[in-house]
Amino acid sequence: MTVMQQQSGTAATSGGGGGNLYDVLELILDRGLVIDAFVRVSLVGIEILKIDVRVVVASVDTYLRFAEACNRLDLEAGRKAPSKLTELAGELTENGAKGKSKGALSGAVEAVSDSLSGRDSDSDDERRRSTSSRRTTSRRKEEA
Amino acid sequence: MSTYIYAITAGDHPARLDGLEAVGASGSLRTVAGRSQKAVVSDAPPELRAKRRDLVAHQAVLERLLEDGSALPMRFGLVAPDEQAVVAALDENTEGYAQSLEQLHGRVEYNLKATRDQDDLLREIVAESEEVRQLNEATRENPAAQDNKVALGELIAREVEQREGREAGALVDALAPAAVGNVPGAPVDGHFVNVSFLVDRTRAKDFTDVVQAEADRRGAAYELKLNGPLPPYSFV
Repeated sequence: MTVMQQQSGTAATSGGGGGNLYDVLELILDRGLVIDAFVRVSLVGIEILKIDVRVVVASVDTYLRFAEACNRLDLEAGRKAPSKLTELAGELTENGAKGKSKGALSGAVEAVSDSLSGRDSDSDDERRRSTSSRRTTSRRKEEA
Repeated sequence: MSTYIYAITAGDHPARLDGLEAVGASGSLRTVAGRSQKAVVSDAPPELRAKRRDLVAHQAVLERLLEDGSALPMRFGLVAPDEQAVVAALDENTEGYAQSLEQLHGRVEYNLKATRDQDDLLREIVAESEEVRQLNEATRENPAAQDNKVALGELIAREVEQREGREAGALVDALAPAAVGNVPGAPVDGHFVNVSFLVDRTRAKDFTDVVQAEADRRGAAYELKLNGPLPPYSFV
């Protein structure tokens, strides 16, 4: 289990703002009130964050990746000791960031963090922040 | 001069804007008053793009407003031709805005995104589906059998979709009673859940406790990311 709770809007972080920007990006860009009479800035390149999962999943490419991931799977541990499934997965999660970025549905988000970067170092920050709550915390302290 | 809009608040909201940066770093933040509400605005920069600095500025203004009362967060990047147009828009819908501000009073948004380790999910599917197990063995022994591989992958894709859907439903059902409302967000990069909850500030601790309990129950293969309290972007 991992819960990464990222607080914002509290006295402790006032003035910092947006330390957890990456994870709330689609709220800022795609939610919020719109007044029809007004113009919205063009966000070319940003819409990529929204992906239609059904389209991505239903492709031969995705099928093959799933099949290969399944072929690579270490089934022995699971078959012999099903009750230890959770624990085994826990060890795998240590490499969680790597594993996930190779997942069948990855790719879109990194592209977004690239297009978002006002400065180059920012995009690196965002990427790291999305996989590390501790780094987020220390960064937020600097900003505060 | 075109005007960038951050939020709509009640006329008596303190709107402390000192020390905050405007989007595009162009000019200062101010309020524009309509009959019942006011809008927080700044001069719109000539070439506004969704840069990180600007997103942060937008978000920081909304977070500050949220500290002192109800505020309707605008979507990033909304630009009016001038201040008069903002006033006109406010006055055109005073009752609607008043109602929304009332509904959101004392409430904040929490966004929850959850992932599950892919191998953990695949292992579960192999363990529970005889068909997947057979195809997996067949394609392991004969990696050149492309048709079998596609069939295996298709089968897994369907299982993944069904299981993630069920898990997402169960997670949201478990959390919903601790919140006022919830809305699904757009699917995001491999997460099986992206949901925003509207939560009473006074019950925020209860809500986060329930999230923690659900995370504990699911074990190490899951990662739950809870962001909040946030401006209620998803509830305006």
